[in-house]
Formats: sequence, C-alpha cells, structure tokens
Amino acid sequence: MSEKPTVEEYLQNIQKGQFKAYKCVDCEMVIAPPSGSCYGCGSNKMGWTTVSGKGKLVSFTVIHIPPDEFAEEAPYFVAIVELEEGTRVSARLLGYDPLKPEDVKLGSDVKLDYEDGKTGKKYLAFKPV
Amino acid sequence: MPLNNTNIVSAAQTKFGALKGVSFREMFAEAVDKATVDAGVPKKDIQAAFIGSFIPEMLIHQGHTAPLLTDFAGLKGIPATRHEAACASGATALRAGIMAIESGMYDTVLVAGAEKMTSSTTPEVTEALAAAADDQFESSIGLTFPGVFAIAAVAHMHKYGTTEEDMARVAIKAHLNASTNPLAQFQKPIDMEKALKPFVIAWPLKIFDCSPISDGAAALVLTSNEKAKQYTDLPVKITGSGQASASMNLCDRTDLTSFSASVDASRAAYKMAGLTAKDMDFAIVHDCFTIAEIIASEDIGFFEPGEGAKALREGVTALDGDKPINPMGGLKAVGHPVGATGVKQVVVAYRELIGDAGPNQVSKHDNAVVHNFGGTGATCVVNVLRRADV
Repeated sequence: MSEKPTVEEYLQNIQKGQFKAYKCVDCEMVIAPPSGSCYGCGSNKMGWTTVSGKGKLVSFTVIHIPPDEFAEEAPYFVAIVELEEGTRVSARLLGYDPLKPEDVKLGSDVKLDYEDGKTGKKYLAFKPV
Repeated sequence: MPLNNTNIVSAAQTKFGALKGVSFREMFAEAVDKATVDAGVPKKDIQAAFIGSFIPEMLIHQGHTAPLLTDFAGLKGIPATRHEAACASGATALRAGIMAIESGMYDTVLVAGAEKMTSSTTPEVTEALAAAADDQFESSIGLTFPGVFAIAAVAHMHKYGTTEEDMARVAIKAHLNASTNPLAQFQKPIDMEKALKPFVIAWPLKIFDCSPISDGAAALVLTSNEKAKQYTDLPVKITGSGQASASMNLCDRTDLTSFSASVDASRAAYKMAGLTAKDMDFAIVHDCFTIAEIIASEDIGFFEPGEGAKALREGVTALDGDKPINPMGGLKAVGHPVGATGVKQVVVAYRELIGDAGPNQVSKHDNAVVHNFGGTGATCVVNVLRRADV
C-alpha cells in the first residue's frame, strides 16, 4: 500500500467493492475523495488506507429529476457522510424510503456499503446501523 | 486601498427568457449596441473586450466565442477574451476588465456576458450544466446541481430551522419584483400555494425553488476616471472586488450551511472598498436556487448565520425593506443565461444606483454589493459599487 495512489485506482476500488481512502504519509490525515495535496499539512505524499466503514450522516437530498443516465433509478438518495476517520464523502444512502425523506435523521450512524446501480456501475453507499 | 479608477459609464441587458429565433451572436450584439452607441459610447472607443460565457461548446457547438462575438457586434480587431467560471463567468470577465483599467493598460473596455440555452433540450442543458460539478466524484453517483443546493438546504433547515415556506418566500419575492421588470423571463406574481407546488426536483427543492433555463446577454462599459466624464455625469465606481475559490466537492467542505467562497470574496471586497456590509444599501445575490439567496444573505454579512430566513419573513429584503435583495427579481424570476448572469447583476446594480430602476427603484441607493456564484460554490466573485457623486 505504499505505491502512489491514483484517482483511477480509487474509482476502480469502489467498483470492486473495496473502498480505500488516501492517507497523507507525512501527517496521517485520511482523505477521500482523492486530493493531490493534504488538507492538513499540504504534503503531496499520499498512500492508501482502509477505513472502519463507520460514519455519520451529515446531510442528504433525494434526486427526483436525474440526468438521463440515472433515469431508471430515480428517486434516489445522495448523502454526505463523515467517516469515523474524519473525512467526508458523497455517496448513495440505502435503507430509507426516498418518498419519506422526513424519516431520515441527520447525525445518525451509518455504515459503508455499495449499491449496484441500474447504470451498470457500483456506487459507494451507506446504510443505517 | 479602494479601487479608484474603475467607472461603469453604461450598462444594458437584453430581455431574458426563451428568445426564439435570436442567435447567440445576435443577443450579444444587441446588448453591446445598447451599452455603446445607444448610450453615447462610440464603438471605436472600446479598446478591449472581456466576455463571460459558460458552455457554448456544449450548447451550441461553438468555441472561441470572444472574437466571433466582438466581430459580429462591430468591435473589429480589438483584443477579445472569453472567461469561464461556470455561473460566475460574467463576474470573472468583469474582474479582468477592472484589472485592465486599474493597471492603466486601457482607458475604455467592454465587459459582457451571453448564453444561448433554450435551443437545446432540457436533458442536454442539464447534462451541460453538470460540467460545473466534479464529474468523477459527484456527478458519477447521480448528484445533480439542484441536488447540491438541496443538500445545503437540508443542512440549513436542520441547523437553523429554515423551512420550505421560507424558501418559497424567496421565489414569491423574486416573482413580485420581476412583475414590473419588462426584461424578466417571468413577469407574474406567484402565491405561497404555487411556490410550494409539489413538483420535486431534488428534495426539498421543488420546481419554484429553481431558476429557469434562459437566453440572454448583458454588457457594461468601464472607463478610467479621465474618460468617464466624456460619457456620463453620473458614473458608478467599483471600489472593491473580491474573488475566492472553494473545493468543487461539497463533501470536502466543513460547513454545508454557508459557502466559504462567498464569505471570503465578500470580506475581500468590503476590505478593499474600506466599507462593511452595514454600509451597503442593497444587494444583488446569486439566487440560482431559493436557498442560495437565504445563505448568500448571511454569507455577505447582511444577516447573522441562520438569520437570513427571518429577515426574509419580516420583509427586510423586500423592495421596500431596509436591506433590499434582488430588487428586480433575481435569477429566479428574471432568468439565468449562465454566462450573462454575472454581468446582468451589475447592470441591475448600476441602474438602481443611478436611480434608473423605475418601479423597481430602491429608496437608498448610494452603495451596493453584487454577489455572483459559480457552480456549486467553487468560485465566488463579489464587487462593491458606489455612485460616483456620493
């Protein structure tokens, strides 16, 4: 895991269901999605790290009018989740009814998962604990 | 130090809306003619042009647009450059124009913006606009533009108690102000029931929370102090200008209830002008979505964080309020031809400042702040304007 990480590999890892984040070699800040420089110390030396998969829901929406590519999936949730390691990612949210967004509580505990989209792509996703 | 040499001496826009049968270059030429020959500024006096346009490549299959547009509009041979910063394209063109005047390189320049959108289908426009978001990390999971602002809305509602009715009030105010603006795309007031029409785009944002797809162009002539007197007795000075950037990805931001680029750009603009938000008589802000106006009203310092909706409810930001915001109707009701918007916002501020806003005239009009936002907030430009006789 010492090899210099790439955006391509980051995206492929999600497709394989093996999410990994970047980790700053100098200050150990965990970063996802990828950045070319560390938000903490500015270093450009990055490695890979696995994450616990535990996170908290920061905010979300339900997309009713999607781009054409996602038409068959609508309505669907897109959420911002803060991982236990401190970094935030955009992901799908599972386990709730998209027509009952009022039931979703911000700050609730969620766990890393994946969603097999009708687009043929796998999405990073989270579900309630 | 405040900027001291940049004067707006004329400003004009086309009607915004679905301008059927009017091409990109024709809209541009109309705005230029209104801001030059119709306003007593001979085209031969224009030494350079700075033009905002977002995605003509995708919408009308046309790149290299600046020389195409200036040539068609009769501004032959001058340096002409396009500026792109998504929805802030117009204001970044303006910043280039300001720097050209302040540096002394030119005495008289054109700043303009244009976008032709309605000749494309709605899915084509949606796809093209998505280019302003991070394609690999956000668009790839189906996050849309309204979705980004919906996520901000949910965070704002959770933290501050802002409601869907509050957001609807932004739309109601915009449509009311635009009802007396003949250049607006929508010129009819709407009531709360209509503003809350349950056609959901990205929950909690509904159809009336979103600005429309529009065509339009706008243009300004900027001059040095020495030249300004040739064209008008009442120029408007740009005394402070700020621009800031933020992460493209919403998830890389620590606070979803505020846009850091708006805060940074407005503080920089006020500091340069030597003024504060309290000195501003009114604001033109980037209300691409209703929640964006509420958040912008806080980010530019008009109200404390979380107090924007309350101010709106109490009428503080109405045309006749103490701190009017978007007195001619904003993007929401006037329309949002992306590249034209940042220039049009300054056209509106100019007209209000010189007392030329007719039924949409605000009562106090010495100083104004103009806030133009790009994409999901990764770019923000804020300019502070003052009438020259103040």
